[in-house]
Amino acid sequence: MRVNPVLALAPRLQRAGGRDSRTTTVLAVTAFAVSTALSLSVVAALLGFMERAAHPTTGLERDAGGFYVTLAVVATILLLVPLLTLGGGAARLGVARRDARLAALRLLGATPREVVGLTLVDTALQGLAGAVAGTALYGALLPVWTRIPFQGRPFTAAELWVGVPVVLLAWLAVPLLAVVSGAVSLRRVVVSPLGVAQRVSRPGLKAVRVVVAVLAFVAFMVVSVIGQSFAAVLVGMLLAGLAVAFLTLNAVGPWALGVLGRVRLWRARTPEQLLAARRLLDDPRAVWRVVGGLGLASFVAGCLAVVPVLVSGPGTDPDDATVSADVLTGALLTLAITFLLAAVSAGIAQAASVLDRRRELSLARLAGVPTELFDGVRRREVLVPVVLVSVGSATAALVMFFPLFGAAALAAPQGLLLLVGSLTVGLLLVVAATEATRPLLHRVLADTVVRAD
Amino acid sequence: MPRLAARGLVHRFGVTTALAGVDVELGDGESLAVMGPSGSGKSTLLHVLAGILVPTSGVVTLRGREVQGLGEKERSLLRRSRYGFVFQLGQLLSELSARENVALPAMLTGTSRAEAEAAADRWLAALGLAGTEGRRPGELSGGQAQRVAVARALVNRPEVVFADEPTGSLDQATGHDVMKVLVDSTRAVGASLVVVTHDADVAAWCDRRIDVRDGLVVAPGSTTRAGVGPRPGERAGAPGGDLLGPGGAR
Repeated sequence: MRVNPVLALAPRLQRAGGRDSRTTTVLAVTAFAVSTALSLSVVAALLGFMERAAHPTTGLERDAGGFYVTLAVVATILLLVPLLTLGGGAARLGVARRDARLAALRLLGATPREVVGLTLVDTALQGLAGAVAGTALYGALLPVWTRIPFQGRPFTAAELWVGVPVVLLAWLAVPLLAVVSGAVSLRRVVVSPLGVAQRVSRPGLKAVRVVVAVLAFVAFMVVSVIGQSFAAVLVGMLLAGLAVAFLTLNAVGPWALGVLGRVRLWRARTPEQLLAARRLLDDPRAVWRVVGGLGLASFVAGCLAVVPVLVSGPGTDPDDATVSADVLTGALLTLAITFLLAAVSAGIAQAASVLDRRRELSLARLAGVPTELFDGVRRREVLVPVVLVSVGSATAALVMFFPLFGAAALAAPQGLLLLVGSLTVGLLLVVAATEATRPLLHRVLADTVVRAD
Repeated sequence: MPRLAARGLVHRFGVTTALAGVDVELGDGESLAVMGPSGSGKSTLLHVLAGILVPTSGVVTLRGREVQGLGEKERSLLRRSRYGFVFQLGQLLSELSARENVALPAMLTGTSRAEAEAAADRWLAALGLAGTEGRRPGELSGGQAQRVAVARALVNRPEVVFADEPTGSLDQATGHDVMKVLVDSTRAVGASLVVVTHDADVAAWCDRRIDVRDGLVVAPGSTTRAGVGPRPGERAGAPGGDLLGPGGAR
């Protein structure tokens, strides 16, 4: 069988590029692995609750089994976007270091199909490696999940084993997701061979995004007031609300970051402020990819601020107390996983950003730009948007669900404590993840032999 | 006293000897071309002279003061405050405009943003780049980007400018324009210039040329142009040194 000569380059492309290429490969595979492990864990919990509902062994499992399954579905939906964000980020990271070489291949006459094929084969292999490693990680995490009691008893490892078909599905789905995300990132290379080599100003984001988002929010609030008298509609309302919120946050987030960038650029007085503001303004969508996960997590935290209100109703029934405690445990678990995913996404995206800029960063240091400046910019470019996005998203959630749960949700101190506490932990996780990219930045800056890309 | 001098420079990367005992002197306002094939050690020489690399042995002095023993932070400060750099390609920070790229070194030495950007605008205008102040590096031609890099190298009125293959990614005509701007404007601010190149036409712009082979200077001091006739491609009677120096940021 004759192999296309360009596609035959795939293994070489994987090996080319030395240490940076290996670093990006390791980071991308790690991200795919984390994403896979947590996805399998979430699916395991969902399947576990479904199994208990189908074959109940206690009164609680028989009476409230359906309710638990519904909550597990909600948690799965909540985690879907951060999981996809992390997977997409990993695919983009895998593509990032290859952009320049791929553009060069295009200039040399490789067809768009060959360029796409070459990278996607590479990215799919990373996705598969991550999926396999993630399955092992999922197995390693099982003893952790089996310590957490639900419905009065912890799940057994057997209950949380997803089964071979689901594992095989993950091994198929993760590379597929990687290929789709990689293809989207590669579009610009294919459309214009010079597109990646030239760093140009991008058109600003339209304010119409905000108008659409505000309309969607208001529509949800109005409908929720009308619909809340029908209990059966409530869960549907919640799900629809989350869908609306995720979509609109994704639309408004980049625009809001662009506005923040313009304000900060205007006010910048030091080189650090100037560079951080310019990076934000340069590509708000890219910054959103870094902090967006946390934005969505904060939104979830805002939604969950109402949970203590919902579960703190009067009643002495031990089953009610168990359900209340389980709802809170599940909520905190969902939140913790979301923040973890957001933090890993932030670290991955920042690593990609450092590698994308490696040449100019290294040359700037040769010319005497202090390392501390880039360290400061690295922190500032994530922290400032992260605070805006997390606080903004949490507030949006509180406002959005206000008509459903009323001021009681806001007044319950445990709900707000949960919100503030989880936001703080989430921010610290993101800071830790971005600090993890410090050695990579310093290694890039320490490079005195600057290769021409 | 030479402005910049090096004696007995030896530099090794592991078992490879890049510099095997080099002596160099650079006078006030003098321009020096360092030529040699790939792997000859010419870029290593520039890096050691500029304080990017610490030599394995030997002495580097700036106005008589030894600088090779300075710590990383002091050498970084030296490079941004007393030296200027022009590299081959990709040295401008891609997220900053041309104006901000030029203003950055001035801001790093404590100049306010408003003053630094005003100085940047003056430099860009002096180098024929008026109207490009707000453009990003990706929106500039190769020649324009190199002239922005020259403006950035000079905005702090450095004592020595180091240029590593400054025309390496340009066509001949554009490379010629960039070298003229580099040499003229460097002289206008009274800086000395070290140009590393493998191109004899580029070297011909400098007062003096040395050749490096296998880490050694093999043809020191051969005069290529000093005081004789117009520079390559320069029209007779064209106003030389018309760049009076638009005033640095300091």
